[in-house]
Amino acid sequence: MSEGGDFVDLLRRDGYRFPGEGMVASHGHGDLPFHPTEGTTILAIRYSDGVLVAGDRRATAGNMVLYDRADKVVNLDAYSVMAISGSPAVAFEIARVLEHSFQYYRRRQLQEMSLGAKLRRLSLLIKDNIPMAIQGIGAVIPIFATYDRNDGCGRIYFYDALGAQFESTDFTTTGSGSPGIRGVMYYQNRWGDRKFADMGRDEAVGMALRLLDTAGEYDSATGRYERVADIFPSVKIITASGLEDIDTETLRTLHAQYVDGGPGA
Amino acid sequence: MMLSDEPYRWAEGVANRRDYIEDQIRTGSPVVGMGYEDGILMLTLSRSQQKLFEVYDRVGLGAVGHSTDIEKLRQAAIDMAHSIGFNYSEEDVTLRQIVYFGLGPAVKAGFDDVVRSPFLARVMLAELDGEEGARTFYVVDYDGAFFRYEDFGALGGIQEADRLMEQKLEGAEPQTLSLTDALSRALQAWAIGRWVSNLEDIPTDDAELDTLSADVDLNKLLKEELQELDIEAIVLQRSLVGKPKFRKLTPEEVAPALQSIEA
Repeated sequence: MSEGGDFVDLLRRDGYRFPGEGMVASHGHGDLPFHPTEGTTILAIRYSDGVLVAGDRRATAGNMVLYDRADKVVNLDAYSVMAISGSPAVAFEIARVLEHSFQYYRRRQLQEMSLGAKLRRLSLLIKDNIPMAIQGIGAVIPIFATYDRNDGCGRIYFYDALGAQFESTDFTTTGSGSPGIRGVMYYQNRWGDRKFADMGRDEAVGMALRLLDTAGEYDSATGRYERVADIFPSVKIITASGLEDIDTETLRTLHAQYVDGGPGA
Repeated sequence: MMLSDEPYRWAEGVANRRDYIEDQIRTGSPVVGMGYEDGILMLTLSRSQQKLFEVYDRVGLGAVGHSTDIEKLRQAAIDMAHSIGFNYSEEDVTLRQIVYFGLGPAVKAGFDDVVRSPFLARVMLAELDGEEGARTFYVVDYDGAFFRYEDFGALGGIQEADRLMEQKLEGAEPQTLSLTDALSRALQAWAIGRWVSNLEDIPTDDAELDTLSADVDLNKLLKEELQELDIEAIVLQRSLVGKPKFRKLTPEEVAPALQSIEA
């Protein structure tokens, strides 16, 4: 009997295998025969209405810019997103498996998957990927953000490459550009005009745009607002009423106000 | 027993199986599917037990029959839809695939296997904005035969119920039908399906049945049934933000359609 609701189990019965599955974990020797593609700066902030998640749009392979329209903040269901840094090949696969897992469970078991179970599913997928991470070609370090409808607040979780899960109370950032803004985030939240938790939507979005611009200033792998093709970072908010993309026109206005304008402009 | 008797015994066996199944499911609460301006409405009445289900982003399911058999078919449909949706894409999940290659053959195999109990269930599936149309319905009968409908779908415990319910649903313009009007129509259709399913002797002549059914006070019947049963209604709502379009209707949304019955 299949009491189930486990989508990964269904996939395995169909013969599906994850990229690193069956691989023996061994540390790679010497140079890789190619530069793996990598995604760069993502961040999440708890603000007054819930949680905001943002990411730049650049994907790189070595010192080459591979893509300028990568969307690293992926919707998983009506209340949760996963933001990805690291290998997009594995990360998008994990996001796709998770999205189907959450929906499959809800439809089949006739109840929403609990927050605890969602976190556990993501953790397991990252653990399955350990061999790839150790080989140095497929590490994924995601941020999972959701709105906790039981407690009426946004929640942010981040992971290490082995699948350990940590909850962040105020903010988090990962990816190659994150060292450049981690301290800025701490400083802003501690001694800025307002704590992140007291910011309204526009101010929080403006702050996220400033932070990504700062990351791009010091990290060549992080993209900034792309003027030629008019590409903004992706910014999403999750509140009691669900997940919402911040549209391009709003981003344009807030970018002009907070990044191009702002004190000292 | 002579070998030459076998075909007759086989045919008799199949006929017995049909009688048995029909007898088991005939009084099940009908399920109505009705297109409306923003998508598809599905409705039934039940004793607080869920009977309408989400299968995939744009696919819903309702059924009449044995609850555990319905459950098996529901799960099979969901498994198939999610396998296709993940391994191919969301757009590849169509009712045609689910019915032609999934539920139809599974139910037929169950019906043909004389040493096991057949599926005691008739199933209706609804698909919003699919390959075959904006509002497509399939009914899979207990023997695996399936039928496609557009704009509305009717599923009772017996085929006479389907036919009378269809008469109530025909002729509407789903593109302009409001949700409340769709609910009212669906309730009338449910009531006539309920009425004929509970009839002691159903006239075999269609015309005779039509005459008989014309005199039924459907609002009175609904009022009585609503003492015991609750309305369950879902929509596949085109304007819903995000990929999944399935949503349960709240009692407040259903209430306006009840005013005409109470009056």
